[in-house]
Amino acid sequence: MATTNGSNDLSSEMEVDAFRRLFPLRFHERHLLESIRPDGRPLGRARDTTISLGAVASANGSALAKIGCTTMLAAVKLEVMTPKAESPDEGCIAIDFHMPPICSPLVRPGRPAEAAPVITKQLTDTILSSGMIDLKELSLVSGKAAWMAYLDIYCLDADGALFDAALLSAVAAFSHLQIPVVSLNDDGRIVLISEENSGAMWEKEPVNKEKRKLKLESVPFSLTCLLHKNYILADPSDEEESIMETFLTVVLDSSFQLVSLNKPGGPGLAHTSAIQDCVGINKTESERTSEDIG
Amino acid sequence: MAGKTINTPTTYTPSPTSQNKKRSSIFTGSDWVRPDGRGLHQCRPAFLRTGAVNSASGSAYAEFGNTKVIVSVFGPRESKKAMMYSDMGRLNCNASESKDLSSMLLKALEGAIILESFPKTTVDVFALGVGVWWNIPYIAGDLPVVISCASLALADAGIMLYDMVASVSMSCLGKNLVIDPVSEEESYQDGGLMITCMPSRNEVTQMTVTGEWSTPKIHEAMQLCLDACSKLGKIMRSCLKEAVSAPQE
Repeated sequence: MATTNGSNDLSSEMEVDAFRRLFPLRFHERHLLESIRPDGRPLGRARDTTISLGAVASANGSALAKIGCTTMLAAVKLEVMTPKAESPDEGCIAIDFHMPPICSPLVRPGRPAEAAPVITKQLTDTILSSGMIDLKELSLVSGKAAWMAYLDIYCLDADGALFDAALLSAVAAFSHLQIPVVSLNDDGRIVLISEENSGAMWEKEPVNKEKRKLKLESVPFSLTCLLHKNYILADPSDEEESIMETFLTVVLDSSFQLVSLNKPGGPGLAHTSAIQDCVGINKTESERTSEDIG
Repeated sequence: MAGKTINTPTTYTPSPTSQNKKRSSIFTGSDWVRPDGRGLHQCRPAFLRTGAVNSASGSAYAEFGNTKVIVSVFGPRESKKAMMYSDMGRLNCNASESKDLSSMLLKALEGAIILESFPKTTVDVFALGVGVWWNIPYIAGDLPVVISCASLALADAGIMLYDMVASVSMSCLGKNLVIDPVSEEESYQDGGLMITCMPSRNEVTQMTVTGEWSTPKIHEAMQLCLDACSKLGKIMRSCLKEAVSAPQE
């Protein structure tokens, strides 16, 4: 008796798997009718989020962020540059998003993923326009030296909602960033002050007294939603994204003001009501996530 | 690295001026202690986990000291259309855009895989190093970690293997033989040795010797490496067993 039940379970499991592979849209729509998704989430619920700071010891600031299975590693490295003439008191941030071949079966070595430069541009626009970082905080010596923050984000596992996870990891890395203590030496170069050379080296005062963190204003939070017929699915997985191709990304800041809205084409059209719903879902989910992260 | 391709200003890193580093005699003395406090014949503690990447058919994460590596295995999947029919499967390795590391990884793993079990198709093995700064290329001290991690990932993906593949490297510093060297130790070495073997079958899939070695020293080094490989092999097996038994609890 037990064995016949066992083989029935196995064959019905294989049938479900086969149905999922052969008719993915019908498989998902069958779930949507019951207001649920294949992984058991309600439609408006984002996946569990975890953040871990300081993942890369050799970087000035780093963080590992996971939304469900999507994993992003962000690292900030500070280097010294000469500020531009028109903004002598401002540093600079350069953001780059990479999708190495480990993260997804669709990425081949030697052929960079199509999504990578798109997300790089989106991240740059969002982070710089949200006003999260005051570039004046990255200044060292007015007109002569300022920090250039190189932010590199690596996708380690691509399971949908890449932009959301990337933004989260970038924000976390900046929150972890510690600006090292440096001084200006005789050649006009900025040099790190470490315990070994602190006694002998500096004849001038250090440029900044102690290691400090950046002050982050209005931290942006992003949520991507899929629009399919009348349904709005928050935080899609990779499978859902590949089947239902219309999505909408809403980025709100900590006071729930709109930082950016992106609906990059797609076969479906969005009513204004859908856009308002997405903004509402972003609000709810960002509150829930900030409770989880604390 | 970020921003180097667009017209960003030139930057420099504010590191303190590098002290004049000559190899101090402590490296060759007999009572020398390694920078991380390990014994001469002591490998770094290994942390291994399978199933690190959900999108991959199989994957593994390895942490040996400060070296962190993720390896993803995809496949067996369709070979490129241009390739001719083959009744043996193909293995394709890529380790962070470095061609010679990728080819060494390929040679190390090829011997252990039962290629006949997946004809016409290709198994892709991709590796990424985390924690060492990105644009520093892999140094030999990390390749053994990548190889061991890759073999774990292949097992996680269910690719048929003759045996697990474990890899250990060794440096000769004057009179001392130092196992599993870190980059600092390696930069002062007189000779380097890396062995990749299948511990249970006692077969070596790849051996790389560089620099100056005397015959007795190299025999001693080989034996130490093979012993370390068999210990590492046991650790890898217990990692796989844990991964399988855990969900059934």
